[in-house]
Amino acid sequence: MKSSWKKSLFTVWVFVRINTKRFFRDRLALFFTLVFPLIFLFVFGGLNSGGGDISFNVAVINQSETQVAKDFVTQSGDSKVLKVNKEITTIEEAKEKMSRSELDATIILPSNFGTVAEGAAYPTGEAEVIYTQNNQQSASALISVLDAQFKGLNGTLVTSVTPFTVKGTQLNENSLSAFDYTFAGLLGFSLIGMGIFGPLNVFPELKKMGILRRLSTTPLRVWQYFLATMVGQAVIGVISFAALFTVAILVFHLEIVGSWFELVPFLLFGLVTILGIGLALGGWAKNERQAAPLSNIIVFPMMFLSGTFFPRFLMPEWLQNISAFLPLTPIIDGVRLIATEGKHFIDILPQIGLIGVWMVVIYVIAFKVFRWE
Amino acid sequence: MIEVKNLKKRYGDKQAVDGVSFSVKKGEIFGILGPNGAGKTTTLEMMETLRTIDSGSVIIDGIDVAKHPQDIKYIIGVQPQAPAFQDKTRLTEVIELFAAAYGEKVDPMAFLRDVDLEDKAKSYVENLSGGQKQRLSITTALVHGPKVFFLDEPTTGLDPQARRHLWELIEKVRDKGISVIMTTHYMDEAEILCDRIAVMDNGKIVAIDTPKNLIKALLKRGFKKEQEVEQANLEDVFIDLTGKDLREEK
Repeated sequence: MKSSWKKSLFTVWVFVRINTKRFFRDRLALFFTLVFPLIFLFVFGGLNSGGGDISFNVAVINQSETQVAKDFVTQSGDSKVLKVNKEITTIEEAKEKMSRSELDATIILPSNFGTVAEGAAYPTGEAEVIYTQNNQQSASALISVLDAQFKGLNGTLVTSVTPFTVKGTQLNENSLSAFDYTFAGLLGFSLIGMGIFGPLNVFPELKKMGILRRLSTTPLRVWQYFLATMVGQAVIGVISFAALFTVAILVFHLEIVGSWFELVPFLLFGLVTILGIGLALGGWAKNERQAAPLSNIIVFPMMFLSGTFFPRFLMPEWLQNISAFLPLTPIIDGVRLIATEGKHFIDILPQIGLIGVWMVVIYVIAFKVFRWE
Repeated sequence: MIEVKNLKKRYGDKQAVDGVSFSVKKGEIFGILGPNGAGKTTTLEMMETLRTIDSGSVIIDGIDVAKHPQDIKYIIGVQPQAPAFQDKTRLTEVIELFAAAYGEKVDPMAFLRDVDLEDKAKSYVENLSGGQKQRLSITTALVHGPKVFFLDEPTTGLDPQARRHLWELIEKVRDKGISVIMTTHYMDEAEILCDRIAVMDNGKIVAIDTPKNLIKALLKRGFKKEQEVEQANLEDVFIDLTGKDLREEK
């Protein structure tokens, strides 16, 4: 046969063209692949936008009449660090709120706070911070914050010498913000959506209706069908990634340090690898009932362990060592390394190599287990 | 055109097809009849490369199905029992897809015209009636100009008008010189449409001949219907009352 190679690719091209058109006619599929990750981006991005600011939800109960106590109450009301719940006036109310973790701690100014003791030249007092067992961390942080405030106050009242001091200097270098991790994870989430749930939802249905079986009576080859699915998903992937990056850059001020010419091919490389998992699962499953438990067993652990929703450095070390070898992990890491740390392909060869190994393994399996019906 | 010899297929302890042999000439409509479970569909599926052949052989146009399944696919067209298409696809696109599967580029409208579907060209397949789906399925099976056309119970569930219309289509296909092999449960259909018939039971062929000869042979054995044959039947009444025009649920 003459130019049979060209003919084979023509077949792939027609399947890509018509199936991509189909995708854009399907509102539900559009929503889940394009809009759903954007909603996640807004939710998680919103959670992180507080940035490095730490604040405490507290109640202030003032039992003292002194000017110092009154000043403290007004000042803490203006403070960014303390979020004072002004509705609470009694210790009982405060305790109840604390038990429900609506408050981190309660600051009590006893009646003698700020009074000038007889024979003394300046007012004294001891503020009390009460907290529950679950809030030990934030309470101890709060205590040191208050301590620092009182030291400043003390300094104005009693002159003293401080021979040793500490000075903090901020480096003007880019460090990773929580959002950088979240965003790389979100891209991983959208990769799973397109790469795995795409074919996993479509193939079993096509099998049930006998559509793949009908195709198997034509000379269409499995690799042509896979390649057509791959190119189609890549087109959709580029659109979805473009939307995510646009929102992340415009709304959440994501700074892309690395090169787009490395980032985009790397993302597509990752998408093709992950798509192999979808092709293997969807190609093997005879129907939705076989497909659903498989996706639960394989997809969800991978989603959580590879750092989709929370960064892997929060995991215990033994778990980090295992999850490092999952196929999605080097993809998410690589995206973050290129995008926010400006690394190049040459720097992330370990990640690329691991993805490559997975890609070969996954596709060998996918071709082996594929069934037309 | 088609030579089937001693074809066998076993599922577990059931011999689904048990030594089936027949041949089909060029431009002939060959019907396979038989009760459910007789092995009709399994026989077809082995000829269509969908099932592996346990033993025996199928030679189509000189090509052995078991040895060269990929070559066979270029010369056969297959109409499945329940035709289905992926939704949100226009009729023209369905034709393009199937032609592309053979590496061919065709004019979709020409193929839609062949089965009176040119008005529906831009519709999505999910909006077609049962009869329209059958017709679309027939034309998609012919996009690559096959030499043999397989139909599995093509008229099941269709109204009398749609059935008659489909018969005409199948005859048109035969008249192009394509060999047609079909299964059916309707005896009137087999009698009108098929040039020759094989009756299967329990995986074996119990009779092969033209419908006329099969009836003659039965009469020769002294068979008599209790009732006098009337000059019309209920279907004739139905067609007389409702006309031959095709109906399409919008």
